[in-house]
Amino acid sequence: MPQMGVSVSEGTITKWLKQEGEHVEADEPLLEISTDKVDTEVPSPGTGTVTQILVQEGETVEVGTRLAVIGGAPAEAGASEPEAPPEAATAPAAQAAAEPSSAEVTPPPAPAPAPTPTPAPLPASYAEPEGNGKSFVSPIVARIASEHGVDVAGVPGTGRGGRVTKKDILAFVESGAAAQQATPAPPPAPAPSAPAPVAPAPAPAAAPPAPAPAVAAPAPAPAAPPPAPAPAAAPPAPARAAAPPAAAPAPAPQPATAEAGEQFEPMSAMRRGIAEHMRRSLDTSAHVTSAIEVDMSKVVEIRKQLKPEYQQAYSVNLTYLAFVARAVVETLRDYPWINGEIRGEQIVTRNYVNLGFAVELADGKGLIVPVLKHAEGLNLLGVARGVVDIAQRARDKKLLPDEVQGGTFTITNPGGYGTFHGTPVISQPQAAILGTYAVVKRPWVVEDEFGQDVIAIRPIMNLTLTYDHRLVDGALAGRFLRDLRHKLETWDESNY
Amino acid sequence: MPEKTYLQAISDGLRQEMRRDPRVFVMGEDVGVYGGAFKVTLGFQEEFGPWRVLDAPLSETAIVGGCTGAAIMGMRPVAEMQFADFISCAWDQLVTIAAKQHWRAGTAIPMVVRLPSGGGFSGGPFHSQNPESSFAHIPGLKVVCPATPEDAKGLLVSSIEDPNPVLFFEHKHLYRRIKGDVPDERYLTPFGEARLHREGDDVSVVTWGAMVYTAEEAAQQLESDGVSVEILDLRTIIPWDRESVLESVRKTSKVLVLHEDTRTGGFGGEIAATIAEEAFEDLDAPVKRLAAPDTPVPFSPPLEKAFIPQVGDVVTALRELAEY
Amino acid sequence: MAIAREAEPITSLREIREAGLDREDLLDVYRNMLITRAIEERGHTLYKQGKIPGSFYTGRGNEGSSVGVATAMGSEDVGTPLHRDMGVHVVRGVEPWRIFAQYMGRADGPTHGRDGNVHMADQNLGLIAMVSHLPAMLPVAVGAALAFRIRDERRVAVAWFGEGASARGDTHEGMNLAGVRRLPVVFICDNNQWAYSTPTHLEYACETLADRAQAYGFEGVVVDGTDVLAVYREAKRAIEKARAGDGPTLIECMTLRMEGHAVHDDAFYVPKELFEEWAARDPIERYRDWLRENAELTDDEEDEISTGVKKLLNDALRRAEESPMPEASDLEHGVYATPEELDTPHHK
Repeated sequence: MPQMGVSVSEGTITKWLKQEGEHVEADEPLLEISTDKVDTEVPSPGTGTVTQILVQEGETVEVGTRLAVIGGAPAEAGASEPEAPPEAATAPAAQAAAEPSSAEVTPPPAPAPAPTPTPAPLPASYAEPEGNGKSFVSPIVARIASEHGVDVAGVPGTGRGGRVTKKDILAFVESGAAAQQATPAPPPAPAPSAPAPVAPAPAPAAAPPAPAPAVAAPAPAPAAPPPAPAPAAAPPAPARAAAPPAAAPAPAPQPATAEAGEQFEPMSAMRRGIAEHMRRSLDTSAHVTSAIEVDMSKVVEIRKQLKPEYQQAYSVNLTYLAFVARAVVETLRDYPWINGEIRGEQIVTRNYVNLGFAVELADGKGLIVPVLKHAEGLNLLGVARGVVDIAQRARDKKLLPDEVQGGTFTITNPGGYGTFHGTPVISQPQAAILGTYAVVKRPWVVEDEFGQDVIAIRPIMNLTLTYDHRLVDGALAGRFLRDLRHKLETWDESNY
Repeated sequence: MPEKTYLQAISDGLRQEMRRDPRVFVMGEDVGVYGGAFKVTLGFQEEFGPWRVLDAPLSETAIVGGCTGAAIMGMRPVAEMQFADFISCAWDQLVTIAAKQHWRAGTAIPMVVRLPSGGGFSGGPFHSQNPESSFAHIPGLKVVCPATPEDAKGLLVSSIEDPNPVLFFEHKHLYRRIKGDVPDERYLTPFGEARLHREGDDVSVVTWGAMVYTAEEAAQQLESDGVSVEILDLRTIIPWDRESVLESVRKTSKVLVLHEDTRTGGFGGEIAATIAEEAFEDLDAPVKRLAAPDTPVPFSPPLEKAFIPQVGDVVTALRELAEY
Repeated sequence: MAIAREAEPITSLREIREAGLDREDLLDVYRNMLITRAIEERGHTLYKQGKIPGSFYTGRGNEGSSVGVATAMGSEDVGTPLHRDMGVHVVRGVEPWRIFAQYMGRADGPTHGRDGNVHMADQNLGLIAMVSHLPAMLPVAVGAALAFRIRDERRVAVAWFGEGASARGDTHEGMNLAGVRRLPVVFICDNNQWAYSTPTHLEYACETLADRAQAYGFEGVVVDGTDVLAVYREAKRAIEKARAGDGPTLIECMTLRMEGHAVHDDAFYVPKELFEEWAARDPIERYRDWLRENAELTDDEEDEISTGVKKLLNDALRRAEESPMPEASDLEHGVYATPEELDTPHHK
């Protein structure tokens, strides 16, 4: 069972796409799983015949549990650590891909920690993603890191669980490696559909290794820490194994029987996750919503021109959402707090925008928030393409864990159904969420060429900004919306 | 420099002070003819007479109270508790009167109370305690815990010179077990200055009294593993050398606070808290404490061994810190 | 059958002259008793005016005992008076304004506001400040006597305690050590019959506390504590005996505590008749009568003395009220003594 996010401790097999005896190619979808954080397909780690399915559909197992055997006996797998118990077999993922005949279907796209410190298998401790130990930064290490501008995540750790010790960071600094780290590392680019990132990139330097979950999907495992995402808050690796049985709210319904006329439907892991996250967000942030009306005439006109071109040249459907998203990214440059978060006693701001989009799943029973990473580097076409791509893959449950993490600002777009106002819930630990609503033709008072007020018909879109008043005040939110409106109303094609 | 036992050093220091200053006198149970339960004052009465080496009735209250009164009248009394454990009988005299008199009434009380303390020889619950922390909590008292013969003499001289009530804890286990060079001439070892017992880079041990030697043995064992241990002997608990402790923490970033007294409310907690307050950003591991468990001191050897921190315990604790 | 000796009253001017006091001294004794009572009466008023924090203790009824003993002390002698012994401070020369300042927690009190009530002493006047653990002061006084003995000085320590304090081990240890070493110390027991609300028969089972002296190897005397001259004479004998190297004495001064344990205590548990009986033996009135009868005290002299006392205390009160409250910033100073402080006559 792959680790679908740091805090995820278990997953449920929803469907085997290959049965025992069938042949499977490496990277070919092998099964579908559902976790607290994401529902996804698991690609086969190797090529061969599915000789044995060890976990049946509907079963929920701990992360690291062996699910099936491809092309050979389980004992042959993971040659580098034959004694390793199944749950420890995370590291051999890459090897498995290279050794198709004896691959284990365990650990594909796991950017997250091995549960126990196993110093051996990887040649460079650099790549050792030792979760808790690695992530705990002692006061002295933090201080040295800050004095020398070192990203601790990039320092080889020799302490317990791979923790970076004072000696480690001093050696690192002395070796001159610190200088090469230059500016704080940007967040990892989304691995382009490769299912198995070999060296699981740690979270951005500015963000804690425990990636911020995206809005809806995110619910961390029940054992997960409270919102303040201090690095140390990640649950210790050993606890993971023990936690689920105790903490996971079993999907089993609490009341034993349904009343007449009622029907029971088990709550999916995702639903539970959404429920937990929504509740937690409301308990955490001081939600306030401000709204503004935007005359979309300019955007409508430009979209009309560009749409066919985009469709023909790039096969990209240019939506209003892409315009809004592009304008949002621009506007956020001037409002770092709205793109920021509260972390403990600190306010985090960043020099990039990871834009989340709330996407409804195809079955209408869930919501996921894929994240368009580094949106500040995308032009209108890039944003449009990115939005379409991640939305589609979200609906099809083909997102990588990394693609639902690390958002810094979220847009939700319930406008497709004609709604003109809403008060969405902030995706923790972000500071705000923008709601976009239907573009509606409305009578609008404008000035004619003589300076007289006249009523015109204009395409109007309502925007809402729901923000965390702990960090963002009403005036700031107001200015943000004003500037955003201005950008949309005076859209200049050449600038985007 | 002549080599002397810890006990001889104390005895010599006391004798020197009595020869030098007629105000210095000794009072305690069996300190005269018998020379004290541990023979620290053996031969003193012959030299100084029965009025400067006073065999007291079995009256700790009267011994400490009497020394307090004599100190107020300008004497430099050195009281001896036969065992540190018996100081409980004189609590009021020390804590209620001696400790508070200067602050309250401006009356200086230059008095020393010698306290043979510590276990390791099946002394049981009433002959083995290390009650220094109880007195460290009392403003107005000074608390001294020498580990070496040289310090034992120098600190005793300083204690007698000090214008305050000083509790001088002599570890019984060191009396004849520890030998070292002790200068013949008179010298004062200052209060509040820790002694760097062993220099190291990886982990610091802050300790005092007999635990200095336990730490030393552990450090030697770890040396072969490549772990370099620094040992700081506080020498005096009140006042204690915060600066040296913090300096060592800044150097190694990992600290073990070690003492033979019980853990809860032990002085190690004060040291650990101070490190956390003042050197937090220098820490690379949690401050660790190793102390006796929260029980009375047991009698039977296996129990006592489980009570007093052993070399193996220190090795384990240091290794955990080193590997953290 | 009591073991201890019972003191005789003094019946003539000649007798007291033989004991060491001339007529001027006798008037001083009278003045000191008036001052003692007046200080405590003013204290009562101040307390009720809210000018004294905490609680307030007096020694009404004990003026004869405290002034009598203190009058017998030599200037080089030392003592550890307790909270019923204001007369000792007065006789030794503590200025009343300093006492009021102490009561009110002012900066100029002997403890500078760090302690209250009679928890004070002027070391330069040979007094050691008491603690609330009353019998704990006895071993300290014994220690002072020990210092005198070691140095072979002709000085005496006087240790006060009450019949309540007699029940504690410190009293025993102190007296025992003093007896064993025949130290120059005199123990004064203020037996005022009530330890807070506890009567004597619940404190001790011997007939008199002075009887215990025998067990420690020295003399015990019971004296009427309301008879200042009888107290004086016994104290004088004991002090001079100690000074001569003949060891300690225990003097038990019988009085009645004429008020509650402290100002908050109305002493309901003390039988009314007992108060009436002892009120008739008020030490000050008794002594005034004695002076009129034996020393020809005139009305003019009496007026002059009482007017002088009134003025003294009015001035003292004014001065005390002018004294500032202590500075909070001073709180942590002086927990420890500095070496220079030992450069005092006491520590040389």
